[in-house]
Amino acid sequence: MPAAANCRVFGEKLSSFVDGELPASERISVERHLASCATCSSRVADLRAGSGLLRIGLEMRADEVDWRDFTKGVMARIASEPVPFAERWRVSLRELFTYRRGMLATALAAGVAIIALAPVLLRSPAGPNGYARQTMAVQSVSTNPDAHVAPVVMAGADGNAIIWLVSHKHVLEGKAPSGESDEVDNGTGRPLKVDPERKQGGEL
Amino acid sequence: MPTDDLILVKRARDGDQRAFQTLVERYQRKVYSVALGMLRDREEARDVAQEAFAKVFKYLDHFKGDSSFYTWLYRITINIAIDILRRRGAAKGEHVELDENIQMDSAEANIGALGTRLGTNPQKSLLRKELAEKIQEALQEVPEKHRAILLLREIEGMSYEDLARTLDIPKGTVMSRLFHARAKVQKILSTYLELDEAKSGLGGE
Repeated sequence: MPAAANCRVFGEKLSSFVDGELPASERISVERHLASCATCSSRVADLRAGSGLLRIGLEMRADEVDWRDFTKGVMARIASEPVPFAERWRVSLRELFTYRRGMLATALAAGVAIIALAPVLLRSPAGPNGYARQTMAVQSVSTNPDAHVAPVVMAGADGNAIIWLVSHKHVLEGKAPSGESDEVDNGTGRPLKVDPERKQGGEL
Repeated sequence: MPTDDLILVKRARDGDQRAFQTLVERYQRKVYSVALGMLRDREEARDVAQEAFAKVFKYLDHFKGDSSFYTWLYRITINIAIDILRRRGAAKGEHVELDENIQMDSAEANIGALGTRLGTNPQKSLLRKELAEKIQEALQEVPEKHRAILLLREIEGMSYEDLARTLDIPKGTVMSRLFHARAKVQKILSTYLELDEAKSGLGGE
């Protein structure tokens, strides 16, 4: 391929060539082209000269600044400015979505996996309600209203519950053996009707 | 040997303001130069540079250290400068072109003029100051995002990898934007040199 035709191919690469950012194979082909193309060699010289100019021009301007005063200004500013909560979050989210996409994608994938597996993980093997259940816990103790027993629940040392069903009639009789008129429900003050036939307790 | 940036960041995060001051002193000239290249106005550039440092300090807790401190600092500087340019454009009723696919006029005029007049070491040239002023003017003709890349490359000497990370763009886009930005600036400078030669009637200085 003639050198001039190659110029179009190499044009955009010359800038990266000057910066030393071309991979070795491309750098070698650009160098070969430059050896035979005066126009592209001139372009490279222009790029190098222009690059130095920009830095020098801005450094000249920077020399005019009072840097001690600048530093003082920054330090005074950081001492006086609190960070608003909303702004903190906004910057944090922007940082997260722009520069931590990989981490975010991993976290999202993990979240989706957990949600997908949740029904399986949460399906605990519930035991039957009857005698075969491994563990049982006393939730409440109640008696039938017309049963003449009062439940007394005590916690055992091993975690079991001890339930006593105390005969109401027996207690009341012990306290007031004189008869029905003295049988009073503790707490309400209402007379308690005692059915002597009713012997069974209540339910758990 | 200067203390590593990340160590200073850690100390600053723990409340050591002296450590943060060292970071400010280390980068202030370059941050200011980038801001000046973006905005051209010295007062605005100073404000932007100070704001960038203040912002960095405020959000020091968000800096996780998985990228360089300076890429983070320049990213914040560029974002503040672009916000100002947008406000400026909106105030003037102008549309600020930020489309990276913008077609730039990269036709070259007077190829080799810059290299011939300045040589590879522009500091030796008497034209240096004049062209250094002119190049800042020429920079304003370059779209903001292209300008930011050129400035970070020329002032900080950032690698293409760091440029891509700082501006969150692919490396190929870095290469392309740099090429277009340089072509535009060179065209303006070459035209200026041509006019200068025609005015003086000389081929050299």
